[in-house]
Amino acid sequence: MHNLTQEHLAQAIGVNRQTILAIEKEKYIPSLDLAFKISRYFGVNIEEVFIFDEKTSTIQSLPESH
Amino acid sequence: MKKNIFYLLVGCVALALLLIFWYSVELHISLFIELAFIVGIILIVAARTRVTDWIDDERDIKITEQATVRTMQIFWIIFALFSIGAVMELLHVPEFPRLPPSMHPPVILPPRLMGYIQLGLLCLMIFLYVGFRIYYAKKYGDFETDEE
Repeated sequence: MHNLTQEHLAQAIGVNRQTILAIEKEKYIPSLDLAFKISRYFGVNIEEVFIFDEKTSTIQSLPESH
Repeated sequence: MKKNIFYLLVGCVALALLLIFWYSVELHISLFIELAFIVGIILIVAARTRVTDWIDDERDIKITEQATVRTMQIFWIIFALFSIGAVMELLHVPEFPRLPPSMHPPVILPPRLMGYIQLGLLCLMIFLYVGFRIYYAKKYGDFETDEE
């Protein structure tokens, strides 16, 4: 939605591109800190990018967020 | 310094250490390789701090942490097994009356064998760590590809 590459996003928030890919593929659950950085980067609330799964007490990325 | 240059440097240090080890064995001076090993580690650490395109993000740290913990969990059990064996040898009480030299019980862990065992344990630790690192890297999406 922002015509943004994983590489640019990764550089902007100080992580590796593979970490962005892993979050998208739901292989890695980001910390609250990183989740906030990503949502702040897009200028949206964290709930618009990630959802909190109460069963597992983890946050997951929304499928259409990127 | 770029990451690839750093890996090249690590390779050169490893090769140099191998040569020094061989030379040290030839001369029978263990201090030589021990000092060279310390210098090699200092070189690698110093070079690592100068790598500019190295990003250790939270996922990398998590992979490293979990691989280290799992390695230690398995390694200390194996290490304890060998240590117990070595202590048993140290605590061996000679029988009385003393037996003639030819009838002494065989030495279970001679010093030279201990050296090989230590080397084996070190190699095992490295293999365990690399194995776990690959496992957790795969688990946290290191080998994932996308259509970008």
